[in-house]
Amino acid sequence: MSETDASEVGVEPYGAGRVVVHGRDGAETWARLGAPERGWSGALTVEVVVDGWRFELEVEDAGRAELRQRATRAREADTASGPTEIRAIIPGRVAAVRVTAGDAVEAGASLLVVEAMKMQNELRAPRDGIVERVVIGEGETIENGDLLVVLR
Amino acid sequence: MTVATRASLRKDDRTERPFGRVLIANRGEIAVRIIRACRELGIETVAVHSEPDATALHVRMADQSVLLGPAPAAESYLRVDAIVAAALATGAAAIHPGYGFLAERASFARAVEDAGLVFVGPSSAAIAALGDKLAARRSAAAAGVPVVPGTFEPAPVDRPDEVASIVAEAEAIGFPLLVKAAAGGGGRGMRLVATARDLPAALAAGSAEAQSAFGDGSVYLEREIKPARHIEVQLLGDAAGNVVALGERDCSLQRRHQKLVEEAPAPGLTAQERRSLHEVAVRAARAAGLENAATAEFLFDPERRFWFLEVNTRLQVEHGVTELVADVDIVREQLWIAAGHELSERVRAAASRAAEPIRHAIEVRISAEDPARAFAPTPGMIGRWEIPSGPGVRVDAAVEPGSRVAPDYDPLIAKLMVVDETREAALDRLARALDETTIDGIQTTLPFHRFIARDPAFRSGPPPIDWVDRSWAEIAAERRSAALDAARHAAAAAARDPAIAASARGTPAAGGAAAVDPIAPAGPSDWARAGRARGIDRWPR
Repeated sequence: MSETDASEVGVEPYGAGRVVVHGRDGAETWARLGAPERGWSGALTVEVVVDGWRFELEVEDAGRAELRQRATRAREADTASGPTEIRAIIPGRVAAVRVTAGDAVEAGASLLVVEAMKMQNELRAPRDGIVERVVIGEGETIENGDLLVVLR
Repeated sequence: MTVATRASLRKDDRTERPFGRVLIANRGEIAVRIIRACRELGIETVAVHSEPDATALHVRMADQSVLLGPAPAAESYLRVDAIVAAALATGAAAIHPGYGFLAERASFARAVEDAGLVFVGPSSAAIAALGDKLAARRSAAAAGVPVVPGTFEPAPVDRPDEVASIVAEAEAIGFPLLVKAAAGGGGRGMRLVATARDLPAALAAGSAEAQSAFGDGSVYLEREIKPARHIEVQLLGDAAGNVVALGERDCSLQRRHQKLVEEAPAPGLTAQERRSLHEVAVRAARAAGLENAATAEFLFDPERRFWFLEVNTRLQVEHGVTELVADVDIVREQLWIAAGHELSERVRAAASRAAEPIRHAIEVRISAEDPARAFAPTPGMIGRWEIPSGPGVRVDAAVEPGSRVAPDYDPLIAKLMVVDETREAALDRLARALDETTIDGIQTTLPFHRFIARDPAFRSGPPPIDWVDRSWAEIAAERRSAALDAARHAAAAAARDPAIAASARGTPAAGGAAAVDPIAPAGPSDWARAGRARGIDRWPR
C-alpha cells in the first residue's frame, strides 16, 4: 500500500460498506467493502469487491511495510536453497498422488491431482528438487493452505 | 422392452394435479426450480440430499427430505438404489432428475420405470438410443437431418492393420478433425487432430479417456466446423408422438465446452432459417421416439448452414431463456406430459410463433470460479448476496448469505436471466441488473459477465465458440488490475477513515467524524471485541 498516493485519489463513503473511488482521470469506480479485520500481525485485512473482482487486501503503514519487505527479502535469500512447502491453493479432494519421498522432480512435474467441483487440477513442482515428504494421501480432503508436499 | 406404466393419454384436461408427490433427484438451483413448479401445481415434494446439504435451500423448501449419504456424488446424488428406495418409501409417484447427475443415465430411468414410478423425462429406451452419439448420428442422418460430416461406426483403436483405412476415411472427411467419444459429453474423450500423422495417437488417447470417464472407449471422427456458433433447439414431445420446437438458443459463449452465457432467440437468423432449423430438430427428435423435454444441438457455420451434433435428453441449465421468450413454463409442462397429458394448447401456440419471436432473453451463469485464473473453482463461504430485481429480471439460485459452496459439486450458484423487447434492450437490462448484484466471500464469474454485457463486439452478435479460450485471459488481466487499483484506494480509506470502516461493519459510527476509531487497537480489549464481533456474526439471521 505504501506506493499508493492517496492525495490524488478521493474516496467518498456512500452508504453501508459502499464507497466511490474518484480516479485521477475523473472516472468513478464503485467499491464494496467488507468489515475490516485486524490479523495477529497487526495488519488490517479488508475484503473489497470492484467490478465483480474480489480482493482481500492487507493495509499497513509505510514503516511496517518497509520492515516486512526487508524480512521477506531475507527469508527469500534463506529459502532459495532450503525446503519448499507446497500448500493447497484450492480446497478439494486428493484424486492422485504422483510422487513419493525421495523422488527427483523437475520444475513443472506433476506432484498430485486435486479434484474440486468435478474438475481435476494438476499441482506441479515450482522448481527442480527432491521430494522430502508427502504429507497427504489419495482420497483425503484438503482445505486452503494445507501442507501437501515438501521439496528440498 | 416394457415401457413404464403410464396413464393412458389424456386430452388437455388439467383439472387435477399431475402427481400427488414428486421426488427431485438433484440439488442446487435446479432442485429449487423444480420444487417451485411442483409447489405451484399443488404437488408435494421430496428432496434428497448429501450430508453437507442437510440445510440447503432445496431441502428446506421441500415438504420432505431423505438423506442419501456423504458428500461425494458417487455416495449420494448418484446412488440409483437409494434414490428409488427414497421415492418408494415416501410415496412419491414420479422422479424428476433435473440436469447432470443421473439425468441422462438410461439405467436410472429404467430403474425408475421398473419400480413402477414415472421418470419425468424421455423413456429409458430413448435416452439409451440418444446417449450413444453414434446411434444418434445414424438415426438423424437416416431422417434426412444434416449431421456434421464424419464417421458412423466406432473407429478401430489399437488395430495396426486398420490404420490405413481409418486414415483414408479421415482424409475424406478433411483435417483438422475431432476424435469424439460415442458415450461422450463435456469434451471428455475429445481430441483435435491436425494431420493424418497424429491420428493413431489421438484415437488411442481419446479412447482411453472415454473408457475411464464413461466406461466405454468407442470413439468416432467428426469434421471440425470452425468458426462456428452453438445453436440448440428446445423440444417438447408427448406420448402420442407430438413433438414441437419452442425456439432456439445461442450458447456460443463457452469456455472449454462449458457454457457461460445463453440467449434466445439466436441473433441474426431470418424467420425462414429459424423455421427450417426447428423443423430439422423436430425431425431428429421424432426419429428417436423422443418425448418430454429435450434439446437438439447444432453448429452454425459462416455459410449459414446448420450441422446436427446431438440430442440432450433432459431439461437444460439454460431452459429459462426459452421460457421467458416463449412464455411457457417448461418444467410445469414436463410434469403434465409425464402424467400422460398431451401437449397443451399453450405449448402448441408458442411453437407456432417460435420462428418469429417478439422478445429476447439472455442468461449469465454465475459460478464459483475465478475468471482471472482460467475459471479455476473457488469454493468457500458466501458473504454478501445482493441479487437484482425489477422489470424483466429472473434469478434462479440456491444459495443465500452464509451458504457454503462445496468443492464436491458443480460450481454454478445462480442463473441471472433478463428479458426485453430486443437484444439491445436485453443487454442494457443485463448491464443494469449486474450493477445491482454484489457477491462477496468468494470470487465468482461476475467480472466476465460485467464485461460481456457492455462489450460492443458482443453487442454486434455472439462470437465464435472459441472466443473465450482465445481472447479472455488478456482482457481479464487488464480489468482485474484496474479494479485492484481502485480496491487499494478503497481499502486504504477504510483503514484511514473510521466512518467508512464502521459502515462496512454495518454499524454506523456514532457521533460522525468524532467517533472513536473502531478498528484501532485499544489495549487488550481489542481481542475481546473481535471475539464479540464474531459472536454477533453467528447470531441466527
